[in-house]
Amino acid sequence: MLPILFVMPIVQLLLFGYVVGADVRNLNLAVLDSDNTAQSHQVVDAFTSTGYFTVSARPDTDARLKDAMDGGQAVIAITIPKGLGDSVRQKRAAQIGIIIDGSDSRTSQVAAGYAQGIISSLNRDFYSGGAPPGASPGGVNAQVRVLYNPTLRAVNSMVPALLAFILLMSTSSVMSQAIVKEREKGTLEQLFVTPIGRTDYLLGKLIPYIGIAVIQVAVTFVVGVLWFQVPFNGSLLVMGSGLMLFMLSALGIGMIVSLLSRTRQQSQQTSMFLQMPQMMLSGFIFPIAAFPTWLYYLTFLIPLRYILVIVRSNFMKGSSFAALWPQFLAMGVFSIAIFLFGLSRFRKRLAD
Amino acid sequence: MSDPTGIVENAIDVRALTRTFREVTAVDDVTMTIPRGEVFGLVGPDGAGKSTLIRMLATVLAPTSGEALVFGHSVVSDPHAVKPRIGYMSQAFSLYGDLTVQENLDFFAELRGVPRRDMAARSERLLEFSGLTEFRKRQAQFLSGGMKQKLALAATLISEPDLLFLDEPTTGVDPVSRREFWRIISGLHRQGITVFVATPYMDEADRCDEIAFMTQGRIILRDTPAGMKQRVPGRVIEVAVDDYHEAMPVLRALPCVSSLEISGEMLRVLVAKDAGQCESTLRDALASAGFAVHHVTPSATDLEMAFATLIPAARGAADTSDEDILAVAE
Amino acid sequence: MRRILAIARKEFLHIIRDKRLLIVILVMPLLQLFLYAYALSFDVKQLPTATLDLDHTTTSRQYLDALQQSSYFKVDNVLTAYSQTDSAFESNTDKVVVVVSAGFGSDIAAGRAGNIQILVDGSDANSAQLGSAYAGALSRVFGANVAVSQIEQKGGSASSAGGLSAAVRTWYNPEGVSAAYFVPGLIVVLVTMITVLQTANTLVKEKEAGTYEQLIVSPISRIELMVGKIAPWAGIGALEIIIIALIGILAFGIPFRGSVLIFTLSSVLYVICTLGMGLIVSARATTVDSANQLAALIGFLPTFMLSGFVFPLSSMPVALQFFSYLFPARYFMVITRTVFLKGGSLAILWPQIAALALFATVIVVLAASLYRERA
Repeated sequence: MLPILFVMPIVQLLLFGYVVGADVRNLNLAVLDSDNTAQSHQVVDAFTSTGYFTVSARPDTDARLKDAMDGGQAVIAITIPKGLGDSVRQKRAAQIGIIIDGSDSRTSQVAAGYAQGIISSLNRDFYSGGAPPGASPGGVNAQVRVLYNPTLRAVNSMVPALLAFILLMSTSSVMSQAIVKEREKGTLEQLFVTPIGRTDYLLGKLIPYIGIAVIQVAVTFVVGVLWFQVPFNGSLLVMGSGLMLFMLSALGIGMIVSLLSRTRQQSQQTSMFLQMPQMMLSGFIFPIAAFPTWLYYLTFLIPLRYILVIVRSNFMKGSSFAALWPQFLAMGVFSIAIFLFGLSRFRKRLAD
Repeated sequence: MSDPTGIVENAIDVRALTRTFREVTAVDDVTMTIPRGEVFGLVGPDGAGKSTLIRMLATVLAPTSGEALVFGHSVVSDPHAVKPRIGYMSQAFSLYGDLTVQENLDFFAELRGVPRRDMAARSERLLEFSGLTEFRKRQAQFLSGGMKQKLALAATLISEPDLLFLDEPTTGVDPVSRREFWRIISGLHRQGITVFVATPYMDEADRCDEIAFMTQGRIILRDTPAGMKQRVPGRVIEVAVDDYHEAMPVLRALPCVSSLEISGEMLRVLVAKDAGQCESTLRDALASAGFAVHHVTPSATDLEMAFATLIPAARGAADTSDEDILAVAE
Repeated sequence: MRRILAIARKEFLHIIRDKRLLIVILVMPLLQLFLYAYALSFDVKQLPTATLDLDHTTTSRQYLDALQQSSYFKVDNVLTAYSQTDSAFESNTDKVVVVVSAGFGSDIAAGRAGNIQILVDGSDANSAQLGSAYAGALSRVFGANVAVSQIEQKGGSASSAGGLSAAVRTWYNPEGVSAAYFVPGLIVVLVTMITVLQTANTLVKEKEAGTYEQLIVSPISRIELMVGKIAPWAGIGALEIIIIALIGILAFGIPFRGSVLIFTLSSVLYVICTLGMGLIVSARATTVDSANQLAALIGFLPTFMLSGFVFPLSSMPVALQFFSYLFPARYFMVITRTVFLKGGSLAILWPQIAALALFATVIVVLAASLYRERA
């Protein structure tokens, strides 16, 4: 059991870091080139040289293209019409078709964005020299600067988030298991016979798991920073206090779960089902800004939401207490409320 | 290795069976045979290796070395031939708490291939036998300790095995239920079923055809209960005296006294067989020490005494001598 | 066969009598379904944005208006000096700051390119990536419109002007409904969460309770035991899949364009795979605690991460992509998405179905062989 407790965070770190942190690239591209000229080849090269796309299929008919998309061999396709090369040479307007697989809307959005960017620069390449009469090469030059995470490595924002998530998973699920195990085995009754105070019992139960959780977070932190080379710009004090406060809420949730479950199987299943929404709805993976309004307001009730902001901001931007006080306040209120609620229910149950 | 005639002389044939757990040798080189139809009792202190031995014979645990044949089939290489013919009841309650009495019986009947047309009749009979008929719809976890054990026994019997392994089946069971339990076992015995039972209770051991003492992984002694008692060097005198605790050192000091033990509120004193006048010696010694003596009477040797005296003696002998001295009943 | 039925019946009774577990298993996935199907999308709309206009011309205001109009940006902050950008980010008020440089208007009028700076908060990489893509796209569109109007002002015709443009079409999900994307994937994830955990527990519980020994002593073969234990859960798993699928179709209007037969067959195969994985855990684990942890590790995480549920497989490091081939979830994910959204026939999907069948067999056999017949 013990080795698993320490292996798990590392496995999660590696999984999340590599999977979630992976930036969208190497998308499978199908190319239907009806033109087959130097210009059309240039178009294809422009796509593949960015590293965002790899050509996975070269269908020669529309039907084959549809098959390729249907079968999932490509998530995006470009169709180059016959006569493109001529149009470009003669400086006439030309159009390239882009077909995206909408069933994967995230990827397709990003893919569409990349594709359009590539087409824009192709536009400049093909037409910049010798503009048609009256046309201007004007337009808007938008220069993007990314602050705090210049390489925009997704893993940089994933690792700090993972610290909070591991803390949540570890404290709430492992602890509730332990409590329920005692109830299952009947050793809980044994304890009632001994002159142990309820508070002492609870403390005794909580402390080892708090210790384990702290170690897991520390391990994740060290491995994350070293292995994934995530830069750390924050302060351990701010992060530490945020995480401690967050842990209270996790403990509270663990206690509540243990109250609802008679067997460890039930408590594990329930924990799993509580962790998933927290993972999905707290901004861990999906941006909260995109939620429908009612759900957006619901997320205010999730402590994980606040700690994620705290941890990410501090880790990467060095945000201080002063900048983060709204999150600290909100999380503090919730954490303490959940913890006290869990505690009172728990003590009441022990008293029965 | 199956017997072509189908009838094997011995139910169990153990040869140099050993089982170690890391550094601990739980069963140490045991060799013995158990004839068919016998009720065989295995007696020994905690940690002697009784459970381990039984589990190996019941194909639940694999031996580290050695061999054992159950009805001629090897538990090592041919356990699947053994399983249909045995029943096994472990120390802890091992049936499904959230299934009812009836459901438990039905499950094991189906699992063990009891012919469908016989199922209903057999389970009725067994429930009747165990006094569980009115509880048939109750979930097993809500039965009392004694009922649980009886149910477990019924579940092993539903497939009418030829050999029953029982590991301390009456532990924690009230005396009335215990007696009923053994009534059932006697019944089985009459049907020719072989029973191999480990028990900590001497009165149960007394009801077996043969018993063996086991300690530290070895079979030390084996005999019929009567035979065991006869091996005890000496005879027993029962002493009823007030303040028996304080009386003990007085008695121990006497030369004709070998050992003594407490039984209820009495003292059972083992004296040398030829110490004819020991009764009066005892009475006098106690009286002169100021104890109020109620009676001093000869008594039959019981297995408690045999257990208490023979095992340490045999253990001492076993440690220093070779296997020939280990007594195996003839 | 009789023995298999006996085991299956017993398991079924265990399940029925554990009311709390039943509730968790049946109710919670549905709750999650509703929650996520409504919530999830990767579209980053309404990104909190701040604007900084250093130009103050009509053109710059036009640009910023266009920004405001688009649903992708929620302009809630107007800055007046560059120095304010830092605090806007630090306090997490905004994720994007759009700065119109001085001279934007005059540049555009003169036919030169106007300069915009888009500052994104990289600490939230997701939003940042998409935010910068949108801003970039918006600028392109704006620029193209400007170019067109300039040409027309000069009397030329836009269509005679050269230029490469892209015609974008979205297949299978033209409205870009994210639920359509997620629900088939959710089916896979939710069902996995339930099934693996249950079978992971089943043998271990028997070990802990002591009934395991009774099974050993009975003349039941390992395969029979495995099949018997899987059967009731296979039924429940299949039921869950159907319920979620129906809700997806009826409540969320997700299309179902494929073959019911293929879907059913693959569902059954997949459920056998996940149950088998649970049994593998159960055959070797000695305590319920470790069984639970292992089940989560093996069952839930890889399914969630490596199946292509949310994170595109093609973007992962090659090593992980290889690794993902080991998990049945990957194949079932392709099947469900195709069957719901694209159609898909046997000719297209047979590799995945074959893979699932192979996995199902291998896993059950593995579970049976790992099960120790005696201690």
